[in-house]
Amino acid sequence: MKSLRERFTRFLSPGALVILILAIASIVTALVLPRTETKGIPFWVSAQPHYESYRPIVAEWNARHPDRAINLMLIHGHALERRMLTGFLAGTPVADLVEPNSSTAAKGFAGPLESVGYYDLTERIQAEGLLDRINAPSFAPFTTRGRIFGLPHDVHPVLLAYRADLVEAAGIDVSTIETWDDYFRVMSPLMRDRDGDGRPDRYLLEAWDANAIATIILLQQADGQLLDGDRPTVNLPRNAYILARLVTWFTGPKRVCIDINQDSAIGHRQRLEGQVIGCLLPDWRAGQWKRENPGLGGKLKLMPLPAWEKGGRRTSVFGGTMLAINRRTEHFETCWEFAKELYLSPRLAEQMFRETNIISPVKELWASSFYDEPDPYFSGQPSGRLYIGQAPHVPVRTSSPYYAYALQAVCNVLAELRAFADRTRTYDVSTLQAEAQRLLDREQRRTEREIERNVFLQADS
Amino acid sequence: MRPQRFNFAPWLFLAPFLGVFAVFTIWPLLRSFVLALQQTYGPGTTAWVGLRNFRFLATDPLFWTAAFNTLQYTLGSLLIQLPVALGLALLLNRRGLRGRGVLRLTFFAPSLVGLPFVAMLFAPIFEKRTGLLNASLHWFFPLWDPEFAWMSEYVMSALILAALWIYAGFNMVYFLAALQNVPGELLEAAAMDGAGPWQRFRHVILPEIAPVAGFVTLLSTIGSFQMFELSYILLNNGPGPENRGLTVMMYLYQTGFLTGDLGYASAIGWVLALTLMGIALFQRRLARRYENR
Repeated sequence: MKSLRERFTRFLSPGALVILILAIASIVTALVLPRTETKGIPFWVSAQPHYESYRPIVAEWNARHPDRAINLMLIHGHALERRMLTGFLAGTPVADLVEPNSSTAAKGFAGPLESVGYYDLTERIQAEGLLDRINAPSFAPFTTRGRIFGLPHDVHPVLLAYRADLVEAAGIDVSTIETWDDYFRVMSPLMRDRDGDGRPDRYLLEAWDANAIATIILLQQADGQLLDGDRPTVNLPRNAYILARLVTWFTGPKRVCIDINQDSAIGHRQRLEGQVIGCLLPDWRAGQWKRENPGLGGKLKLMPLPAWEKGGRRTSVFGGTMLAINRRTEHFETCWEFAKELYLSPRLAEQMFRETNIISPVKELWASSFYDEPDPYFSGQPSGRLYIGQAPHVPVRTSSPYYAYALQAVCNVLAELRAFADRTRTYDVSTLQAEAQRLLDREQRRTEREIERNVFLQADS
Repeated sequence: MRPQRFNFAPWLFLAPFLGVFAVFTIWPLLRSFVLALQQTYGPGTTAWVGLRNFRFLATDPLFWTAAFNTLQYTLGSLLIQLPVALGLALLLNRRGLRGRGVLRLTFFAPSLVGLPFVAMLFAPIFEKRTGLLNASLHWFFPLWDPEFAWMSEYVMSALILAALWIYAGFNMVYFLAALQNVPGELLEAAAMDGAGPWQRFRHVILPEIAPVAGFVTLLSTIGSFQMFELSYILLNNGPGPENRGLTVMMYLYQTGFLTGDLGYASAIGWVLALTLMGIALFQRRLARRYENR
């Protein structure tokens, strides 16, 4: 009678047998490893400061509602985007509550309305009077085809942060500044070349054709527009005018802007060295600077953005986050109750402002006294009050999955226009505007073509 | 005569690979072809569009910009990287060279660092004013503009430079191995016949290393056509001003995962795959012709 070993080795060599045993052992081990069970309704957050400010409120909620506990989870922004979209598209698990930023949120709007993965909150928001309680423009990034899919977390108005220490040392009075032309004229003494290398040592504004954030902030401030719903408006004459003006800031004899890396250590160092006087600063970025560039504390002051024309808008908007409820949730009422408790909470508003400098979109909370406290980072100015002062005036945005495409198109035109100006040594606004219009018309056609390709949006419209 | 038994062992060992290959390569390949003929918003929401994705691709200016940029990068990489790699290999192959091991490690070391790290390393190097490259060039050549915009106006040059740093040493290893296999007696015979260094290189070394050179060229071409991480990270997750850093792979990624149009992304993927297949066949044919000569 043959032994067991002989029987096996008739088919497999001893080495092969060892590999087979190891493979089976690995599979069994993987199957019997204990799974970590998570308790509570999952809530995905991607911003660390948000996560920190939500923790105590979630803990309190869970103590009051042990049977309806919320499981707050911090995951990276890219992971949230991929997992959320994959879940919406392919049905893989997605948290009941998710907090995507405006650009991620818009990617969920690419399909037909009935396939959007977020719960349609329009009726609830209207019926419960939230449209009146929350700053209206804050809903815009989370609205598509007339339906609202999330509660806004913020307003994100933009102010101009300037180096008050340098400006005041030069004896410059900023109170007379109303427009961008005023700003550049009044601040121009600061652009002197002090070290004799033939270049100014300081520039007056942090903006550049490669800086899409600055471009969109300035374009929106001036009522420029990329899309109207899902219809491209890239070639509006207003856009052409703004781009032409911007090019004269970036190049030529009247150059006043500098290209500084937004979030890098090098960028912070350049700001600290005073290579730039003014920066476009949304409220959340003010909080970011406090954490990442404390050396600027006491050197900065805030002022409303100079307007494009006299009497024009003195602010803009950048960024945004919403709290959305998964359409497939089995706990809608709990999620909705929790979402309101969290986002409308005065306690959260205060905590969020203190930790991140973000102001609440809830209008009734704007009178809170903590917004009036002097802010040492901004030379004792009440930064909260200054941001709230501009909150009702932030421009209304459009939410579309094609927003990034249209923005890239406009930024490309800006880069081409600057190259055109340098090549032809043309720096007058009217000639540049004509060229900008030509380039924007081309991009308009391309964007239209791209959107027309989406059969789902075409069907809905 | 004893009937021949079916031998299970090879199939058993091949089974895991075949299973994984079927599930993760063959099936996705077939599925992606179907996807290329659809417009989708997740598997539940699809619309059959036939060849529309391919027709759109043929006239899509962004795709052609990406294709042009990729071609530019590929040619730049091949025409600079491979000669540099071969030069380094020839240098290291010299008789009596001291510190050969240290030099080999030094040249090869960059390829041990992942592409994302290289991109993050080069991002501050290419900065205007404060970047190491501009600052150094301005120091040595005062007329050099410290505001030279590597990352906005000379994106492809910057990418080729960064890639050169990583891949020159990597390709050098292949060339070095090939050079070490060139028979010494052939070189000696050529020298005795009066052949100078250039003639020995042209008529002895080059034909001997031709198969390896062909292989390295093919690998570099495929790698260059698939370039994604370097430009994606170096350009801060975007294609750069005027799409100067947009590559075909980046466009595929943008379309599939940022715009969410998996159908169009699949069409781009198929065009890229067929192009690479064509290049590989062409290269093989060239190599055969060269070998038969």
